[in-house]
Order: sequence, then structure tokens, then C-alpha cells
Amino acid sequence: MTQNTELLPPKFHAAVIRWRDEFLPDYPLLMESWEKFFPTEPPFRLCAFRQAGMCTTIECGEHAGKPKYQAACEMVPEQAHHVFGAIRAQASTEFGSIQQHRLTLARAQDEEEQFWILRMMAEELRHGYQMLHLLTRDDWSPVTSESHEELIEGILSMNTGSHLLGAFNIDFDSFVDSVVFCALIDRVGKYQLSMQKMSAYQPMAESMPKMLQEEAFHLAAGVVPMRRWVTRAAAGDVTITMKALERTINKWLQRGLEMFGDERGGGTNVRYGLKPMKNAEAQAQYRDEGGNLVRDLNLRFLRARVPGLAIGEAERTLDRILAGETVESLTRDDLIRLPHPEFFRRRGVPAFRMIGIDGETFTDPGAYARHLARHLPEAYLAGRDFKDYLDLLGQVASGELTAEEAAGKSPALRRVGGACPCSKSVRWVVDEPAVAPSLPVAG
Amino acid sequence: MESDSAVRVRPLDELDISAVVEIDERIGGSYRPEVWERRIGYHLRRDPATALAAEVGGKVVGFMLGDVRSGEFGLEEPTGWIEVLGVDPRNRGLGLGRHLAETMFERFRERGARTVRTLVEEERGELTRFFASVGFAPAPLAALERKL
Repeated sequence: MTQNTELLPPKFHAAVIRWRDEFLPDYPLLMESWEKFFPTEPPFRLCAFRQAGMCTTIECGEHAGKPKYQAACEMVPEQAHHVFGAIRAQASTEFGSIQQHRLTLARAQDEEEQFWILRMMAEELRHGYQMLHLLTRDDWSPVTSESHEELIEGILSMNTGSHLLGAFNIDFDSFVDSVVFCALIDRVGKYQLSMQKMSAYQPMAESMPKMLQEEAFHLAAGVVPMRRWVTRAAAGDVTITMKALERTINKWLQRGLEMFGDERGGGTNVRYGLKPMKNAEAQAQYRDEGGNLVRDLNLRFLRARVPGLAIGEAERTLDRILAGETVESLTRDDLIRLPHPEFFRRRGVPAFRMIGIDGETFTDPGAYARHLARHLPEAYLAGRDFKDYLDLLGQVASGELTAEEAAGKSPALRRVGGACPCSKSVRWVVDEPAVAPSLPVAG
Repeated sequence: MESDSAVRVRPLDELDISAVVEIDERIGGSYRPEVWERRIGYHLRRDPATALAAEVGGKVVGFMLGDVRSGEFGLEEPTGWIEVLGVDPRNRGLGLGRHLAETMFERFRERGARTVRTLVEEERGELTRFFASVGFAPAPLAALERKL
């Protein structure tokens, strides 16, 4: 198994370094502390990895069995357009998540968990770099008029509020967001990367194995702290409670579902051999994993709270509590519940349907807002994202907008200027990378 | 008992921690979630492809953790090390260990290893017989220790 490493052309590499200095200022600290937190593990490298020896024939769709495409020009325009869009969206998410995590990294209670997230941020930077590598190693002129410089400038200029996918436009309110985001939103990433590993566009497929390897750790960097927190909650720790975790799961899981795209879509990607699963199938598997995570957390909580439970007995006790019994003074309300898949949705088939946490239906937006307020993190309620959602919900309920129109406006982009390099004074890509510019100021 | 063909080996992931904790508890009698959270976290960081789970009927009933390392104990060549093998006692006899070992050997080969090594406590005769059944033989290396 061989992995080849490649670097971006110097001026684009320098642009990423400048971006890193701005949005990942703790990177030098990570490097200094690597041996302490990750002894015996290979050092981090900012480069693109390409896996050698992968399947060279198309693995699914109507062209299955034919040779994979080595260049964009070998694909029909619609196919190339889909691949180009996927690479650009993936790049946006990688850089976007770093911008979100940086807001709350310093608030971690535990140093080890903090350095896990910091390492994860560095690896997300590498994933973004990998996507920029895909954009710059090929000629995408059949599907875009933007030059390589303009593409990279555009992606690096995005900020929370102007990214291409909704989940990356929501600010974090606490380190709980940071960890739950890893467990739930990076899980969507795992699905996308696993599917893209079979892409008919060979450079995309070859980019995935290393990213998937790193993503496995990112999921653990979310799940393991959550497991530790429910144990502490069971012992009476009031800092991160089961309710706090449940509400944060409610905030992110639904955004994760929406990242798979509309439940009715995905057929074109399958037909072109770019992904093996339609949106609804991948989304259903993702939700099942969310359910497994919640059950694991509840079991961990239960065994910490009732240490005398014999092996196997914990599962049965959990099922009794979930069925409504009170056992050892624990009720269903003491546990984390998985939200209904149509709860708090703003994209896809159930968008703006006003479905409650357990699947109950609301007809009054005010009553639904109060219901949401009981099941979402308090800090999130005070933010712009939730306010925009309620405004759109009201417009849908009054008939001013259709649910589809509201979905198209959600989330409202607040910093659209950030996506257009012409509107900004900051340039990430400069012609003379050897001359170190002063740190750029975003905005 | 389910047939041998019902065994599925796949990379272990973070949602398998509970299953591993349960298998360990069934084998050793101790509930040690913290140990496995840390250990599986380490393997997922280092190389998740060499952490394997064996499923029967969709439930994880066995696992194996390994690693390819070079330069240890004067062994410069890349060596595949099998560090942990756990099989739910209720599912022994299904060939789970063999399935896990064969998949692990393939992962080691892909990573350039040409030798697989492990250490087994002498009193664990069943484990020694298992490793012999998948081709292991005593190595020209001696495991040494002293009390501190």
C-alpha cells in the first residue's frame, strides 16, 4: 500500500499557510505538544496524499466496468459539474469547520480533549488542502469560468455564514458544540468520503483513503469525550449534563441529516458512478448510527449510575426505562432521547413541517417555537441562526413562502461578500509567496 | 450457533467501544470502559484499518487490535504486531479468531510487513493453540522481564 504525497503550487501552498496563521493560530502549539499527546504517532504533514493501487474501473452506475476518468475533460459536462461541485463543497466544509472550532477550543475543560480537537482541526486543514489540490491539478474550464487563483481565493475567503453547506454556517456556543459536532457532522463526512472513495473520477477516489483514516479519529474525538461526560453526569457533575448533551445533539443531528441532500435526490450521482448510494439510503444509515451513539451514551450513563448492574442486565434495564418504567429512580427524562427525523428540519422533504421531538405535529408556529426552545441549547436560541429559522417558519405558516422557498433561504448567508474575492481587500493568493505579507484581517 | 459464513469482519470504529467493553467483561469479569476508550482511540488515530471487529448477525462478538511498526527491539523490518484478540465466550467455535487473523494479515501485508509477531502468556494454552492454528511458531526471540 503506497501513498504518494504532493504539494500545491507554491503560491497556493503559501495561501493556505497564511490562512492557517489566521484561523488556526494554535498550530505551533500543536506541533510543540505533539510528542506529549501523541507519542509514537507519525508527525502531521500539510500535503495531499494520493493512494496508489486503487480500483481503476468505474464501480457503480451506468458506466460500471469502464476505466475511471483521470481528468475532468474526460467526463461529460454534467458529470464534471457534479464532481467540481462536490470538491468545492468539500473544501468549503473543511476550512469552515476550523473557523467554527476556533471559537470554543480554549473553553475545553480537559487538556487532552482540547488537543484532540486541535489535532482534528489541523487534519481538517489538510483535507481542505487535499481538495484544493484536486481543483488545481486539473483543468475545470469546461464547468467554470473561474481560474485556479479565483477558485482558491473564493474558498479561502469564505467565513462562517458564507460556506456552501448549512451546518458550517452555524457558530459554536461552547466546547460541547465542538465535541458533538465531531461526533455527528464529521460522521456525515465519513459517509461522503466513503462514497467518494468509489468515485469514477480517479483523483477523487485516490484522495479518500488518507482522509478516511483521519476521519476515524475525528469521530472518536467526539464520541469518547461524550462517553466520559455522561459518566461524570451520572456521578452528579453539573457542568455538562445529560440534558445539555441531548439539546446539543438536537441542534446538530438534524443539520447532519440535511447534509445528505434532499431525500428524493442523489440518483444522478449514482448513475454517473460518482457515489454508490442515493441520498435517502445514506441518510437512513446515518440516522441509525446516531441512534446507536445515543443508546451507547445512555448505557454508559446507566452503568455509571447503577454500578451494581450485571453484564447484560444494563441493556434490559435501559429498555425498561425507555419504555416508561422508573428503575432505580431513573426515568426516560434522565436519559438522552434521539429526536424524530423530521424534528426541527429546514431542508429536504420535512422542511418547516413543525414536527416535535417525538414525532408529534404542531400547527401553531408560536407553540412550535416554544417546543423547540425546550429541546435546543439555550445559548443557541439567542443566536441569529435560530431567529432566522423562526422568521422563515412564520412566513411558511402564513403562506408568504413555500417550504421549498424557505429551504432555499436557509440558513440566511450573512457574509456573502466573503465568497467573492472582488469584494474584499484581503487576498490569500498572492503572486510572490517568497515575500511574507502581514497577517490578513478577515472581513 | 450460526454458520461460519455469517461472520463479517470490518474495521472497528468508535461506536464499537461498548461491544469491546462487553466482550472484555465477559472474558475477564471486569467492566473497564475507560481502558478501551483510550486504547481504541489510540488505534483509530494511528491506523484504523488494523483495528478489526467481527460481527455475527450484525452484533460485534470479536475484535483484534494490531499495528505495523519498525525499529523496535532491533527489528528494523516493518513488523505486524497483534496486540489484542477478544472473542465473546458465547461465540467461540465459529472461527472468529481465524477470520480476524486472516484479515489482519492482509492489512499487515498491504502496509509492507512480511512477518507477524505477538506475545502470549505461557499459561494461556488455548490462545497459544489458536495462534499455532493460524501459522504462528515459536520465534527466535526471548521475552524477558524483571520485577521493579
